[in-house]
Amino acid sequence: MRTWQVFWSVSLLVAGGSFTLITVAVAIKGFEDLRDLFRRLHHQQDRQE
Amino acid sequence: MGFSYLDWSIVAIYLAASLAAGLLGKRFIGTSVSHYLVAGRELGLYIGIATLAATEIGTITFMYNAELGYRYGFAAFCAALISGLAMVIVGRTGFVIRRFRELQLMTVPEYFERKYSLGLRLLTGILVALGGILNMGVFLKIEGEFLTIVSGIPGRYLVLTMTVILILEVLYTVVGGMVSVVITDFLQYVLLSVATILVSIYAVHYAGWNNIVDKVSGTMGLAGFNPLVNPKFGLTFLIWQLLLWFSIHTCWQTTAMRMFSTKTPEISRRVMTWTGFIYLGRGMLPMLWGIAALTLFGAGPMDHGVPSPLVHGRALQTLDAMPAMLSLILRPGIKGIVVAGMLAATMSVNSSYLLGWSSIISQDVVLPMRRLLHKQPLNSRAQIVLNRVANLFVSLFLMFWGLYYTPPGAVYLYLNVTGTIFLAGAFVCVTGGLYWRRANTAGGYSAMLMGAAGAIVPFFFLHWNETIAGFAAFGLAGFGLVLGSVLGRHRKAPLVSVKRGATT
Repeated sequence: MRTWQVFWSVSLLVAGGSFTLITVAVAIKGFEDLRDLFRRLHHQQDRQE
Repeated sequence: MGFSYLDWSIVAIYLAASLAAGLLGKRFIGTSVSHYLVAGRELGLYIGIATLAATEIGTITFMYNAELGYRYGFAAFCAALISGLAMVIVGRTGFVIRRFRELQLMTVPEYFERKYSLGLRLLTGILVALGGILNMGVFLKIEGEFLTIVSGIPGRYLVLTMTVILILEVLYTVVGGMVSVVITDFLQYVLLSVATILVSIYAVHYAGWNNIVDKVSGTMGLAGFNPLVNPKFGLTFLIWQLLLWFSIHTCWQTTAMRMFSTKTPEISRRVMTWTGFIYLGRGMLPMLWGIAALTLFGAGPMDHGVPSPLVHGRALQTLDAMPAMLSLILRPGIKGIVVAGMLAATMSVNSSYLLGWSSIISQDVVLPMRRLLHKQPLNSRAQIVLNRVANLFVSLFLMFWGLYYTPPGAVYLYLNVTGTIFLAGAFVCVTGGLYWRRANTAGGYSAMLMGAAGAIVPFFFLHWNETIAGFAAFGLAGFGLVLGSVLGRHRKAPLVSVKRGATT
C-alpha cells in the first residue's frame, strides 16, 4: 500500500504543478495569440471581399 | 453559509464580461462557414490550449471526478492518469490528429465521406449527434445542483437559474460561432483554473493530507489505492479506459474541432501534448476534493461500501459531497471567485458542445440528406443559418431532457457509455481508414452499427456493468470492420488523397 501512496502523491504533485504552470503561461501568452487571431481573421475577410 | 453581496458582485461581473467577450466574435464571422465552425483555422498554440482545456473542463467534470474520488479513493486517479497520458501520446505521435488536420475537415463524420461513402457519413452523423446530445443531456441538472448547493440558491430556482445560463451561452454561440467560443474560452479557462487551484489548496488545508490518506486506508483498505484490486476497476476497466481515451482525444467532435481550427498540423500536435498535462490535473484535483469531502463528512450510513456524506445531520448523495464541502469551507469573496470559475467552466463546455453537436446535425445529417434527395447545395451564408437553427434545436432539447433526466449509477460511467455509442465505431473506422489499406465501406457500416449495438444493448437493455458494455462496443466495432472489409467489395482508390504538410 505504501508504494501506491507514494506513486499517487507524486502523480498528484506533477498534475497540480503542471496545471498551474501551464495556466500561467497560457494566461500571459494567450492574449498575443488572441490578437493575432483577430488580425488574421480580418485579413481573411478582406481577401474574400 | 450562503452567498454574500461580494460573491454576487463577482459572479455578475464575470457574466457581463463573458457575454460582452462572446458577442465580440460576431465581428469576425462574415459569411464564411469555416470562420463560423473552425475560426478560419487560425488558432495558435496558447489560445488552442486554452480553448481545448476549457471545452473539456466543466462543472460536470469537477462533479463526476469528485464523486469518483469520494467513492473509490486514490484508486480513481488511474482514470485521470490514463486520460492525460493518452493525450500526451496522441500529441507526441500525431496519431490521427495530424492526418485529420491535413485533410482540412470541419467535422469528424466528414472524414467518413472522404474515405468511405456519403451514406456512412450520414449514419455516423446520426449516431454522433445521438450519443453526443444524450451525453450532454445530464450536464444542466448536475451543474445546477452544484450551483444551488454552493451558492445557497433555493432549489426551486434551479430550473430558472440554468435556463438563464443556457440562454446566455446560446446567445453568443449562435451569433459568433467558434470565434465567440474561442474568445470566451480564453477568459473562462483562466478563471476556472484559478478556481481549481484555490479549491485544491482549501480542500487539503481543511481536511489535512494525513487525515485524507488515513480515511481512505481505513474505509477502503488497499482497494482505495490499487486500481487492480478495486472491484470497480481492475485490468479490464483500465484497458477499456485506454481505448476510450484514445478515441475521445482523436474522434470526439468538440476536441477534434480544436485540432481542425489550428494554424498547422504541427500546432495541433503541440496543443494536444500540453493539454495532456492539464488533463492530469483536470482529473486528479477534483478527485482529491472528493476524497477531502469523504474525510470531512464521510460519517453517514454505508452506501456501496463507503459512508454517505453527513452534513448538518442530513445524509447526502455522494455526488453532492464536494459542493457541500465547498459551501462550508470557502470564505466570502473566495466563494464568489470559485462560483464564477465554475460558471466559466459550465459555459465554456456547454457553448462548445452546443456548437459541436449542432455542426454535426447541420453538416453531417441535414446537408448529406439534401444531397441524397438531389437538392441544390446550400451556400455558405445558408449553412451558417442552418447551424444556428440546429444550435437552437439542441438547446431546446437540453432544456427539457437535461433538467429532468437522472442518470443511473456514477455519472462518469454514464457519460463514458453514452460516448461509446459512437466512439467505438468511429475510432475503429478512422484508425482503420487512415492506417489499414483494406478498410472499406461495408466494413465501416458494420463497425458503426456493431459498435453502437455493443454499447446500447448491454448497458440499457441487459443492464450489464459499464466496463463490459464498453469493452463489448470496441470489440464488436473492431470485429465488424475486419469482417465487413474482408467480405465486402474492396475499393482501390480512396476519394481523397492525404496532403502532407498542408497548412491551411
